[in-house]
Amino acid sequence: MVSPVVVAVALIAWAFSVHLPLVYTVLGLGWLLPTLELIGYRSGKRVYIDIAHGLSNYLIAVYAIGGVFGTIVTVFLAGLLPVFTNIAGALLWPVWGIAIVFGVAIALPFIGFYYRSFNRLSPMKHIAVGYAMAITLTVIPAMFRLVFAFINYPAGVAITPSSTSNTGFTLSVNLTKALGNPTYPPLLSSTLLGAIAMTSILISSIHGWRYTSSRSEYHELGHRIGNTMGLIFGILYSIFAAWYLYTIYQYSPTVAWSIFGHPPSYLQSAFYELYRPTFNLSWMLYMNIALGAIILVLLVISIKITSKPIEALKLVLTPMLMDSAEVMNGLAHAPYAIVPPVTAAEALIKAYGLSFALNVAKWLTISQLLTPQINALLSLVSIQPGLLVGSLIFFAFFNALLLYVIYAALSWRRSSA
Amino acid sequence: MPIVYVLSTINASTLDAARWVSAIGILAHLSLASSFLGTILIAVIAEYIYLTKHDKDWYDKARMFSVVSTIFFGVGAAFGTLVEFGLVTIWSNFITIIGSAIVLPFYLELFAFLTEVILLPLYVFTWGKVRNGWVHWVIGLAAAFGGYWSAYNILAVMASLSMRPPGMIVQNLAASNETIAGLTSYLVTWAKPTDAWNMFWWGANVFIFHGILAAAILTWSVIGAIYLYGYVREHRPDQVKVLKIIIPGVAIMTAIEGFILGHLQGELVLQFDPLKLAAIEGMFWKGLKVDPLTSFFAYGTFNHAFWGYYSWPANVRPPLAPFDFLPIFYLGFMVTLGVLLGVWSGGLSLWYLFNGFFNRFNWAKVIASFLERTGPYAMPLFAALAAIGGAVTAESGRVPFILVESSPNPNGGPPTVTGVPVYEGGLINPNLSLPGWLVALIIIVEVAMPALAVYMVYLYTKPRGVKPTQVIEY
Repeated sequence: MVSPVVVAVALIAWAFSVHLPLVYTVLGLGWLLPTLELIGYRSGKRVYIDIAHGLSNYLIAVYAIGGVFGTIVTVFLAGLLPVFTNIAGALLWPVWGIAIVFGVAIALPFIGFYYRSFNRLSPMKHIAVGYAMAITLTVIPAMFRLVFAFINYPAGVAITPSSTSNTGFTLSVNLTKALGNPTYPPLLSSTLLGAIAMTSILISSIHGWRYTSSRSEYHELGHRIGNTMGLIFGILYSIFAAWYLYTIYQYSPTVAWSIFGHPPSYLQSAFYELYRPTFNLSWMLYMNIALGAIILVLLVISIKITSKPIEALKLVLTPMLMDSAEVMNGLAHAPYAIVPPVTAAEALIKAYGLSFALNVAKWLTISQLLTPQINALLSLVSIQPGLLVGSLIFFAFFNALLLYVIYAALSWRRSSA
Repeated sequence: MPIVYVLSTINASTLDAARWVSAIGILAHLSLASSFLGTILIAVIAEYIYLTKHDKDWYDKARMFSVVSTIFFGVGAAFGTLVEFGLVTIWSNFITIIGSAIVLPFYLELFAFLTEVILLPLYVFTWGKVRNGWVHWVIGLAAAFGGYWSAYNILAVMASLSMRPPGMIVQNLAASNETIAGLTSYLVTWAKPTDAWNMFWWGANVFIFHGILAAAILTWSVIGAIYLYGYVREHRPDQVKVLKIIIPGVAIMTAIEGFILGHLQGELVLQFDPLKLAAIEGMFWKGLKVDPLTSFFAYGTFNHAFWGYYSWPANVRPPLAPFDFLPIFYLGFMVTLGVLLGVWSGGLSLWYLFNGFFNRFNWAKVIASFLERTGPYAMPLFAALAAIGGAVTAESGRVPFILVESSPNPNGGPPTVTGVPVYEGGLINPNLSLPGWLVALIIIVEVAMPALAVYMVYLYTKPRGVKPTQVIEY
């Protein structure tokens, strides 16, 4: 029988792996499209604006499918980690609230308005709408990345013993202090830069592929701009990702140990058992560095030569690197859902004793937050495994279909009034 | 009443604000979801008629309604995410209940959602691109199935809120001075793991199909009214073709809704929540009293006595303030306007389907003319108010509980009504704070989004002059 932890982690990781490239693309397009327009109007070259207009056709569709997978992630979190999601909802409700109000209620109308108002507003007004759209889209990762930073290092959290709580303690959070999470700025910055880099490379790949057949100025420019932006933002992403890894090393011992393959030097050996990660993911770190280097080489070659194999490799390897980096970051937390800070562990031991501190640490693990004894889905799946098998087949089928739909959308020639 | 409640420390205005924000959000989402369900159904029916009759009018209608349905789906799905996060932030303890008990419909909903979100764009973008028209129609049918399956799952959850499914156990841990993570004192589980499938028990199915049919009736009434408005002025043949499908469809669905599903639903309310029955039927008395009309509908006799609303203590009764809105929404909106919708759609159906027969009678012409002239305004109004009446009745009538169940009172009083309360210790986020400006902002967004969807549909469907086509290569 497959362990419930593996089922939960696999399902959530799968949903994230589909969700993230899509939302990265939306975020990247959000910033790139008005920028392309701006360049077009400033230089007087209409083709930039046509590229932006052409790409905007896909913005709503990618946003919608990405949003659906976001909902899938939330349902998996609620269904598989109900107590964790409940605590996260209760403590960080302003964060979720702002993310969703901006992410859905404000960003979606902006996307629709931006798309519909091409050639209907004055150029600068339309560009302003585009940048407003980009800002609202950026609020979504700005909030969700705070949650990611929170699970790296729960800054601003206070733990109080409770004799009535089934966990033995209650949590409260100071949101101002939570915003000061040291892993947050590099995580958010690298997300933004990575999104723009990935989207630029995807644009260059698609236009480059088309250019090999059509040799049109439209595709040549799309290819060139995509490569240039991809290179610049890719290098910036690498710098900020390195900063993120540095903060992780400093503040999130389990994640650092998992990614680098050895415990941080400041970690006392007495804490080794407490912070030992479930997975050694150093191979993923090396693989990601190698993938980054290969993409860099491909970009440089692509600037000089346009060929279908190179463009195809860029198209596949870039989202692969993004997914791999995200999965590595997510899995590195295991066995924890929220990694307890070393300073907090020391303070809890001092204030309430070792057994209380160990109980808190236990309740921050995925296996404990799964609450298998009251988890309806895991209980059902353990008796009726066919439900899980059927789900996996269904998911696999729809993933394949999704890839086909994306391929079809990109390959069909479109005409618009 | 032998029920122990957690004392609420969250103030009443926050609770009320949370309920208003959630209620308006859910109604707005329901309007978008209903519009999607109704329009995608028309699209696949229209394409089926086109494929069998090769009538170009139906091809155009099918294509147009497929795009319209996609607009409603897109905005509605985004709005669904907003509602979902409303649960996480406002009713955060509901998340624990999802995980411990009612997760199955949410889990299956994911598959339905995947079906919709992937097949619907495929359906819309492949008009004229798939050589075999029947293959294209099957894609549309599968997309529509995804939509209805999605509604089926979500309505199963809503059904459980009003009627606790068999095998579900609700424990109040406050009695043993326990909480879950210090956030809630209610634990909801199943007697055995496979009872999770009881989320789809027969009573839930009555609730589900009642809701699905209401959604289709609402949308078809609005579309029927739009076509009727045009037909009265233009008398185009394509308009009457649509009316001959839509209007009888509304009439048949309304009849099923009222005579079969509505009756069964009423019997379930009587069984699961007699307090809700008292509130919505306006039985505002204390103790047992004969109510001949309710007795006839419930038992087929005229002499059955019912417990009045004031028989229960105030802290378990659904609120009636600021006016006795529950009977107005139930009897006034849902029942009366539902009947009137049946009269309008039934009369027009007879006129369109048997025009050759009725056209010989002057009285029939007069009635038909009246129904045609008033129908564009009356039908959508009746349908919308009936739908709102039904939704408010179902969801407000069960307050202050979810997962409601009634059991005989061992002391001989009215049946004991129990459930998980919506106030603190139950569902609401104990850390929540909702200042007035935030409530106003959320409500503006909730109202603006359906308005946006309607505006986008208007932009798409409004008559346009011929413009030169600009081909974009990408």
